[in-house]
Amino acid sequence: MWKDLIDLLFQAYEQFSLLPLFIEIALAFIFIAILSTLVAYSAILYKRYRAYIYDKRMAYISPKIEDMITDQVLLNPNLGMDIPLENIEFDEQTLSDKMYRKPFVRQMLIDTLISYRKNFRGEVGDLLRKLYIDMGLEKDSFGKMKTLRWERKIKAVVELTQMDISISDVTILPLTNSSNPALRAAARNAYIQLSKNEPFKFFDIATEPLLPWDQLEMFKIITTTKDIAIPNFSRWVSYSTNKSIVSFCLKLIAHYDQQSAIPAVMDLLANKDHYFRADAINCLGKLSAEVAEDKLVKIYNNQPLNCQIEILQALGRIASGKHLEFLKSEFLYSSNFDIRMNAARSIIKHNTQNSRLMVEELMEVTDDENQLIIKHCLNPLIKY
Amino acid sequence: MASILVIEDDDIMLKAVRNILGKDGYTILTAKDGKEAFDKLENETYDVVVTDLMMPYANGLEVVSRLRSDETKRHIGIIVISSVGNEETITEAFRLGADDYLKKPIMAGELLIRIRKLLSNKNSSSQLVTRKK
Repeated sequence: MWKDLIDLLFQAYEQFSLLPLFIEIALAFIFIAILSTLVAYSAILYKRYRAYIYDKRMAYISPKIEDMITDQVLLNPNLGMDIPLENIEFDEQTLSDKMYRKPFVRQMLIDTLISYRKNFRGEVGDLLRKLYIDMGLEKDSFGKMKTLRWERKIKAVVELTQMDISISDVTILPLTNSSNPALRAAARNAYIQLSKNEPFKFFDIATEPLLPWDQLEMFKIITTTKDIAIPNFSRWVSYSTNKSIVSFCLKLIAHYDQQSAIPAVMDLLANKDHYFRADAINCLGKLSAEVAEDKLVKIYNNQPLNCQIEILQALGRIASGKHLEFLKSEFLYSSNFDIRMNAARSIIKHNTQNSRLMVEELMEVTDDENQLIIKHCLNPLIKY
Repeated sequence: MASILVIEDDDIMLKAVRNILGKDGYTILTAKDGKEAFDKLENETYDVVVTDLMMPYANGLEVVSRLRSDETKRHIGIIVISSVGNEETITEAFRLGADDYLKKPIMAGELLIRIRKLLSNKNSSSQLVTRKK
């Protein structure tokens, strides 16, 4: 039979080789297209079959898991009786059920417990955590940390964070500097949430960048996590070689109004990178650093446009009134529209007797376009 | 015993709240979205409504607003449970007439106490109205 098949293939090849070239190419394309379609359809069918099996298993197991959590945690008779958590015991027989030995069920159990923990805190939240530990599910999560697949590592990190299980520095710190951006972000977020004493320790070893989206996520976590130990971020501004870390620290310094960081931030004004300088100027403005005003005005003429605009904005935020004349001259004599606009905004932002008089005077002496700029800046509905 | 309507689109949370309140002896009815909630509110009377905010068809604020604008259902106590914790949403919920607001994750004990308090306040105010009459 095999011999016949091989003969047939040979004959087909011989006939194929006799065909003109463009027909050969066309046939090759047809063959590849049919093969690709078959592979694609098989893959789709296989995935759908797996999803179907998963849903079927879920539909069977999920109610059982929810019932178990309800009985053991939500309806636990010891809840609300002022019994210490460590003295509350679960039903051994239920927990040692054969069903809970299967990896698939255990994963489902972890996912369900996490969903409950997102909804409940206090005694119920603590009891859910105890159930997670007593059933040995933390070992499953730690097991996932050892795999090579990054998506499983992320899952493990998220599970342990949600269940408030501390992860040793030896395990998590290398992940905070992983070359994989998703894993790196998950590990950094977990480190901030889990580390009680030094949640920003990974800043010391971070060589990989902190991406803008990760900064947003991290900022949300830092500002919403309770009892987080906030350090003086000037430490990294002075010593870190990671530009994205320094830039993020500048934002945190401004957010937490760390006045003691002003000297360190001012040192950045001599940095070669103008984006860095712009961030530092922005931070000084938000800190209302009056001590930096003279230096900002002094370096103004040597700066690129983005830094000049930041300086004008910073002077408006600091609003000491010492440099109103400087702002006025920039407004009157600069040829750049953005400069004039920001200078006008900063004068108005002073909101003092002098600044108001200056605005009135400018309205009288300046040309139509500048008057329009002032009117625009005076509009309270346009936020600055 | 008081009857409570729990409106929540998350199955796990719905079941959990139902079990917690049921344990305390309340009669619990559930709805998975705003539309189902409106149907149930039309046909039954409840003492308290516990509602989520983000739901399909009609959100929790619409439920609060509809209950407060209906003369016959104005007396129902409303507790909002939501993961939304911004000032505008919370004040908007209270402005529309919610009696209480709990931010997720919640404490089961706290929910029970707030419901008991809400019911006892309603009882004492209704007794006061009867006495005045």
